[in-house]
Amino acid sequence: MDSFSGPSSGPSSQISKDDFMDQLKTQLAQAYAEEFLETVRGKCFDKCITKPGSSLSGSESSCISRCVDRYIEATGIISRALFSSHR
Amino acid sequence: MDPSGLNSAELEHFITQEKEKAMVNEMVAKLTSACWDKCITSTPGNKFSSSESSCLSNCAQRYMDMSLIIMKRFQSMH
Repeated sequence: MDSFSGPSSGPSSQISKDDFMDQLKTQLAQAYAEEFLETVRGKCFDKCITKPGSSLSGSESSCISRCVDRYIEATGIISRALFSSHR
Repeated sequence: MDPSGLNSAELEHFITQEKEKAMVNEMVAKLTSACWDKCITSTPGNKFSSSESSCLSNCAQRYMDMSLIIMKRFQSMH
C-alpha cells in the first residue's frame, strides 16, 4: 500500500485524530478496491480471453461483463456462507 | 499528530477494528478466488447455475470445516 499521505506538513501543522482515521479508512478502501479489481482482471482474462486476437471480439466483451458480475456475486455467496450460517 | 491523540484508546480501538476488517476482507478474497477456480469451470453465464452457487457456498463451509480439523490436529501434536 502507498505510504500514508496527509496534508502537506509545515513546521507547525498537525493532523487531527479524526482526520487521520478518515484518511486511513479512505486509503484502506482504495487498497481493497484495487486488490479486488486486480483479482477480477486475472480471473476474467483466464476465462474469457483464451486466444488473444488482434482486437476484443463481441463475445469476449460480453464474457468479460458477465464474468465481472458473476465474480461480484460469488464474493457475496462466499461472504454469506462464511458469516451467516454457523452450524 | 497531537501526541496524546496518538495514544488514545479511541485510536487503538479504531486500529484494532480496521485490522479485523482487513483480516475478514483477506479471508473472503482468498476463499472467493479459490472457490471460483474450483466451482466455475465453464465460461461465465448470465447467472450461476444452482450447482455452481451451491458449490461456491459448500466450498466456503468445507474450508472452515477443514480449518478446524487442521487446528485440532496441530494442537494434538505437542
